[in-house]
Amino acid sequence: MTTATLDAATRAPARKRRKRHAGGVPMWWVLPAVLFLIVFYVFPIAQNGWRGFYPEFAGQGQVFGLAAYAKLLGDGFYLGVIFDTFWLSVLVTLVCLALGYPVAYFLVRYSGRWSGLIIFMLIAPLLTSIIMRTYGWRVLLARRGLVNNLLLDQLGLIEEPLRLVNTEFSAVAGLVHVLVPFMVLAIASVLQGIDLRLEESARILGANRWQTFLRVTLPLSLDGIGTGAIMVFMIANGSFVTLLLIGGDSFKTLPLLIYQQFNTTRDFGFAAAMGNLLLVSAVACLYLQLRLIRRRGVKG
Amino acid sequence: MTGPGIMGLWRRFKRNPEAPLLGAFVALFFTFMLAPILIVVVVAFNDANFIAFPLRGYSLRWFYRIVEYRPFLDSFIVSLELAFASTFLACVLGVPASLALVRGRSRHADAIATFLLSPLSMPLIVLGLAFLFYLSALGLGVSFLSLLISHTVVGLPYIMRTVAGVYRGVSTDFEETASILGANRLQIFWYITLPLIRPGIFAGALFAILISFDNLPISFFFGSATTNTLPVVMLSYIEHQFDPSIAALSAVQMLLAVVALLVVERIYGLKHMSAPT
Repeated sequence: MTTATLDAATRAPARKRRKRHAGGVPMWWVLPAVLFLIVFYVFPIAQNGWRGFYPEFAGQGQVFGLAAYAKLLGDGFYLGVIFDTFWLSVLVTLVCLALGYPVAYFLVRYSGRWSGLIIFMLIAPLLTSIIMRTYGWRVLLARRGLVNNLLLDQLGLIEEPLRLVNTEFSAVAGLVHVLVPFMVLAIASVLQGIDLRLEESARILGANRWQTFLRVTLPLSLDGIGTGAIMVFMIANGSFVTLLLIGGDSFKTLPLLIYQQFNTTRDFGFAAAMGNLLLVSAVACLYLQLRLIRRRGVKG
Repeated sequence: MTGPGIMGLWRRFKRNPEAPLLGAFVALFFTFMLAPILIVVVVAFNDANFIAFPLRGYSLRWFYRIVEYRPFLDSFIVSLELAFASTFLACVLGVPASLALVRGRSRHADAIATFLLSPLSMPLIVLGLAFLFYLSALGLGVSFLSLLISHTVVGLPYIMRTVAGVYRGVSTDFEETASILGANRLQIFWYITLPLIRPGIFAGALFAILISFDNLPISFFFGSATTNTLPVVMLSYIEHQFDPSIAALSAVQMLLAVVALLVVERIYGLKHMSAPT
């Protein structure tokens, strides 16, 4: 889910600079898409940016100013929301990395003939609707759900049903479930390219397995970790359906608040300002992503 | 890597004792990945109108409920029309653009590609809010056309990625030959390029359709009696009741998606679709 494909794609023709001939695709073929996005993507975002400076005040109507941002960055509650948004994304990214790296490693080094099945099992959940996944989590984690039923009645490990849904646990589990395939695939694609002879050399020179992994394999796969982490962080930052349905009040994030502002409070200027904050963070992630891709591109 | 067989696995185990540990971890991981999905399929056949374990009886009544409850069917049709129309529009815009970016000669190609793919990276809820106000200012407001435009913006990058991915792997020889033999640009596009990149278009389109079908953060801003998409109706249903009809509906939806995935796998291969680089 990155810009890498096209980026690499656009560099490819450099190997063969041909003379101009009738078969080449003219550059203006990009124009319809570019114009469409300028009118229906850049303009709306610009307008949204502008609206952030026009928050509503009770009885006062719209006044131009930085009031929305002052409220956002000066109020303890909203600072908490911003903190929650980023903390949740960081947490989800770290959990995805911890769970995803071993899976990616297994996929590349050990899966053999099962690799097709593993990739299928990674991608299949991506194609189920977000409603289905959160519904599934609610069925599993509800007070009388499957997990409580197993622990309480079947195994007798607990006396009282655990409160699992609408907790920080369910929020993180739900998001990790959605995002960890991206991490696995990003890391796997880099691990695939690592020359096994480097690891063999390390072993021959006396490093044990663990040292080889820490000193050779892990550093070589940092690019994949970076790509995956940025992607997961970026999507986690903007996601709200999972939190809305199984997060309860555990994390109050910017997307949730935007949804609330739209549905109940209806201060659209303030919602726009919160959206702009999310956009800035998304653009920063995009920039980091590009830097990473460029670097990898140069290294070959 | 080809399959090693049982003996091969054993030999591998002796060489790499950490492999079984890793294998166990991977098994647990996929339990985590598949459990919330499989449980929904099981619950869809649950007889009671609430969900409590152990399940008591099984029936198909919730599948009947899908057809019976009008908003499900109506919104399904809206979603279907929207997914296909927006994907078609995204193809019309995206295919020529990706061809130009792969083979065209411009110093700005990198920047343009980044721009055209950037909707992938934007938080959808912010886009939804921005689209609603902008399109309302244009007089489109809450309408199918508004949904169509916003879903096209989101679907475009998926088309471009897969088409560029395939086209990059296509040799220039075919097009050059056709050109030397006197074909004009449109003929080359229609008779040479298009058939060559068809797998890319097909895969990207399927992805865009599925993404559009599952879109909630944009669609719910444009909800009304005639423009509610399936996820929007499902969301409001799930917020008010918890009976298994959502499970049945999800199971049917998943079946459709998995069939689509298998079709793409046959035609195009999965690795190209998912690998981020």
